[in-house]
Amino acid sequence: MKVKILSLVLLTSVCMVAQDQYTKGMTKALSLWGEGKIVEASNLFERIAMAEEDNWIPYYYVAQVNTVASFGEKDERKLTQQLDRAKEFVDIAKRLSPNNPELLVQEANINMAWMAYDGATYGPMLSGKNMQLYKQALQLAPENPRVVYSKANWEMGAARYFGKDTAPYCKDVERALELFATFENDTPFYPRWGEDQAKAVLEQCKG
Amino acid sequence: MKNSIIVLISFFSFWVSSAQTTISGTVTDKSGNAISGANVFLEGTYDGASTTDEGSFFFETLETGTQTLVISALAYERHYELGEVGYLKNLNIVMIEAINQLNGVTLTAGTFEAGDNSKVSVLKPLDIVTTAGALADVVGALQTLPGTTTVNEDGRLFVRGGGAEETQVFIDGIRVFQPFFSTAQDIPTRSRFSPMLFKGITFSTGGYSAEYGQALSSVLLMNTTDVPDQEKTDVGVLSVGAQLAHTKIWGNESLSLNTQYINLAPYETLIPSTQGMRWNRPFESFGGEAVFRSKGERSIFKLYTGFNHSNLDIDQEDINFDDFVRFRLNNNNLYFNSSYKFYLENDWIINTGASISWDANDIGFMENDIDNNETAGHVKLKVKKLFSNRFSLNVGTELFNVDYEETFTSPDGFRFESGFDDALWASFIEGDIFFSNDFTLKLGGRLENTSVLNEFSFSPRLSLAYKSGEFSQFSMAYGDFYQNPIRDVLKFDQSLVSERTSHYIFNYQYLNNGKTFRAEAYYKDYANLVKFNTEFPQFGSDFNNDGSGYAAGLDIFWRDNKSFKNLDYWVSYSYLDTERNYRNFLDSATPNFAPRHNFSLVTKYWADKLRSQIGLTYQFGSGRPYDNPNTPEFMAERTKPFNNLSFNWAYLIDQQKILFFSIGNALGINNINNYQYTNAPNVDGLFERRAIRPAADSFFFVGFFWTLSDDNKSNQLDNL
Repeated sequence: MKVKILSLVLLTSVCMVAQDQYTKGMTKALSLWGEGKIVEASNLFERIAMAEEDNWIPYYYVAQVNTVASFGEKDERKLTQQLDRAKEFVDIAKRLSPNNPELLVQEANINMAWMAYDGATYGPMLSGKNMQLYKQALQLAPENPRVVYSKANWEMGAARYFGKDTAPYCKDVERALELFATFENDTPFYPRWGEDQAKAVLEQCKG
Repeated sequence: MKNSIIVLISFFSFWVSSAQTTISGTVTDKSGNAISGANVFLEGTYDGASTTDEGSFFFETLETGTQTLVISALAYERHYELGEVGYLKNLNIVMIEAINQLNGVTLTAGTFEAGDNSKVSVLKPLDIVTTAGALADVVGALQTLPGTTTVNEDGRLFVRGGGAEETQVFIDGIRVFQPFFSTAQDIPTRSRFSPMLFKGITFSTGGYSAEYGQALSSVLLMNTTDVPDQEKTDVGVLSVGAQLAHTKIWGNESLSLNTQYINLAPYETLIPSTQGMRWNRPFESFGGEAVFRSKGERSIFKLYTGFNHSNLDIDQEDINFDDFVRFRLNNNNLYFNSSYKFYLENDWIINTGASISWDANDIGFMENDIDNNETAGHVKLKVKKLFSNRFSLNVGTELFNVDYEETFTSPDGFRFESGFDDALWASFIEGDIFFSNDFTLKLGGRLENTSVLNEFSFSPRLSLAYKSGEFSQFSMAYGDFYQNPIRDVLKFDQSLVSERTSHYIFNYQYLNNGKTFRAEAYYKDYANLVKFNTEFPQFGSDFNNDGSGYAAGLDIFWRDNKSFKNLDYWVSYSYLDTERNYRNFLDSATPNFAPRHNFSLVTKYWADKLRSQIGLTYQFGSGRPYDNPNTPEFMAERTKPFNNLSFNWAYLIDQQKILFFSIGNALGINNINNYQYTNAPNVDGLFERRAIRPAADSFFFVGFFWTLSDDNKSNQLDNL
């Protein structure tokens, strides 16, 4: 019995060490990203991903760091490298965590980065794909604020282009903001972005 | 038990208290240039660092014992160093560049790709459907590429001095036996496929892989979509008919259906075609295609099927008859194509597929009745092994079966039956070797046995590419190609041998930031071409394989979608010098389908304010050879040059509705394709002639397309 308790204590302490290391590593990577050290942040997230193996979160961040860095990137080779890497990691994450709405939104963001780079080429190729991703994400998680916001933001862009009323999508953004206030997920380092962007978009609605 | 725990605890505390070890070094490429941003880490741990701009790295670890240090950097192969952590100091790591599809050299000699892979694609899938004058016909769009000649009255592909029957079409690697609609003489046909079902198209104008055979000039490889983007329903109302399409997705399975009804009668009532013909019953067709796909963890299964019924009844002018000559056609075509791809462990890929087609024509020609039936099948098994990213091997075997029967009945009750059966077996092996990102080679061979001719043939194939600069590369290809004599010959004589050609291709390509330049020079040598001593192959004709010929030329392509905002354009020019002595030719001469100069300019302009895409296509072909029996020279005269300016306008009414308008030959230029002379001279000793012209100079088309999807977002611009 004693032995069992001892081994249990030992095991938890090992786990705690591991857990701690994960928290430390992720925090470090996020702060590197915050400092604008894209490559270092991506590399550290990648190291964590490799070491953790079955946790989708670090894979998600590798994809996100590389996607965000690609908006505004003019060098096609660099853009392709970053977005291919983002896609590679989001694909692995999807295998680790199937039917995850956050990953679908992330995948749609990769497509958005392609469209931002060259709308004429990638717009017609990827816009249908994105709509399907948002639709699927919304089916899985109708209450997820990032899903609601991303879908509304996307639809608003198209509506604006065709000179249509954007009001219904503004309503969706408002709803997303309400959801941001109540959304909770206990998983450490679960994606949290979106609220500020949604506020900015809502400002535009009112303006 | 206790002991082991103590050991564990002591080990654990040792680990915690142990001193940190420093790991350091530099990372460079083969030429000694620093690689920055490389990820250096101990495998399975968080311990690591990124290299600095000078390529150096430095980090500390608590790990002990033998560890694997991993160095990974984009565009380089992963590097591993195994050793005691204490020794992993001041390392000098030299990285080997990874063989890279993106920036590496690619085999481009003879190949045009239309697909999502921007590196090798000359056309995007969308281009097929937005090219003015192509009218959403895959083949129509390809006719604006260099290496093809404009044969206005035919509609099929004529590549580098080769006839239309020298091109074969494959869907997902499996042969399509009747890629084009049946039609009457001088009434252009179009391909049977809806472009929306395909994700990528490879058009080879020569020197293609050993995987494909039975095509002297060219192969057209079309791949169906693996996973459709989204569920939707498309409705189209056209000035010549209607179409309805639907896509459904269930998890990993999906089904796309596309049906179409075409009837030229209302259009012909309004704007009748009158040049050398009159319709008794204009072309009418109904049919559909379906693709079912199932995607597993490591496999993809696809089933493509198409059915089509078409009929027409036409009276056509003939210089040898006082009255117009009547031609009636009734065609039924059913085609199945299935393919299965499986990714095994250890980088083996298995591809298998099969197709079967039934094609029946019921033809009335004057008072005669001709019935023909073709049943054809193709089965293929291909295995690919990736030994490394520097070497892969493709091995396969396939069987083609054709059973063709034709019955000719004249009004006096005379009946004549002809036909043939052929089982053609082929095996191929081909290796891809990447020596570096600058040099690659593909080497293969194909062995064929055809039962109808009782003959073996072996064709070597070789292509290589060398990257001469960041944006430019040279490519070369060589190959031998064999093809059975055409059906109309084989049904009368099976004692012949295969026709043969050799291709020599030299290609230069420059690709930079939305600009593509290609120049390709080639030489083709034809041997064993079939000759006969009558106007057309017929019962009693004397057939032999004594024909021969050559084709040499230069193809130039330029595309630019960056220099002018919202404007995308490409220019093709082909110079073609070809002569052949075949069929009933008296002497070696340039055939009617091979004009010396061909030029195309395709432009697409996106007018943002008008929410419209406006396209203009201009095509030019120099005069086409014809034979004037009033002169002693053979095939020495030329028609006047061919000119065609086509225009299209796609207007997005809103997100789901598009209005589409197009005119073919907007300027109404009077083109002449050929001349037909009388069989016998008139009283003055002269052979009289008539010009063979298009049925109508210009063609108008209006369509309204409406997409219904859950998101109310999609439209059919990419289907037009």
